[in-house]
Amino acid sequence: MMTVGHYLVLAAFLFAIGIVGALTRRSAIVVFLSVELMLNSVNVVLLALSRFFGTLDGAVFVFFVMAVSAAEAAVGVAIVVAFIRRNGTTNIDAANLMKW
Amino acid sequence: MIPLAVFFCVAVVAMAGAFTLLFHKHPVVASLGMACATLAVGAAYVTLHVPFLGLFQAIVYAGAVMVIVLYVIMALGGEESGPKVGRVQTVLACLAAALFFAQVYRVVRASGAGAPPSVPQSYGSIQSFGDSIVNTYAVPFEIASLLLVGAMVGAVVLSRRKWE
Repeated sequence: MMTVGHYLVLAAFLFAIGIVGALTRRSAIVVFLSVELMLNSVNVVLLALSRFFGTLDGAVFVFFVMAVSAAEAAVGVAIVVAFIRRNGTTNIDAANLMKW
Repeated sequence: MIPLAVFFCVAVVAMAGAFTLLFHKHPVVASLGMACATLAVGAAYVTLHVPFLGLFQAIVYAGAVMVIVLYVIMALGGEESGPKVGRVQTVLACLAAALFFAQVYRVVRASGAGAPPSVPQSYGSIQSFGDSIVNTYAVPFEIASLLLVGAMVGAVVLSRRKWE
């Protein structure tokens, strides 16, 4: 039988993969995509619980999360492009200006 | 009621895409895996009776975001270079993710979240959704549009700047 728990576990799985991707990959683009994957998994949780409680508020919230993540994607890709042009590499270890 | 088989197909495709993103060395293949995962997540939205959000998901993520990312990879290259991440960091990251997943799984099992209640036919219809947006959430909606304009201007400024 289909339950909300299935969706929650799927979302947790995607979020866990996003964590590993963001922490272990070196390419700035792949790290960026891993963060997007985590955002997506949170959207699944919002929709599943919204369906569980029988209201549409979670769906509206997912809509706003999508708008914010689209804005984040535009700015994030612009930052990645500026980063690559400045450093000549996508390796995020090159971003060490604030390191001490 | 959505049959369990449909959900498992969606889940398997989403996990396959996510694993491709995680493990594949080539950034183009990795981002195509991500596109696959976002499409599967959109399909999960459809199984949750919110089909137009699944459509948005396909347009915004698999369409717009992935196309931008693919353009960046094509124009500038996204190959991983330099030394790989240290073994300790990899183990710690996997451990953190596994702990997180185990904890959520435990909580879900303990909560005994059952089948969702049946909802009225109008649930997830464009009409009720639009009603909610322009009445209850009108101000956040306007703020979101301002945010998108600001992000657009910011992206243009960032990409036109001269870096030494």
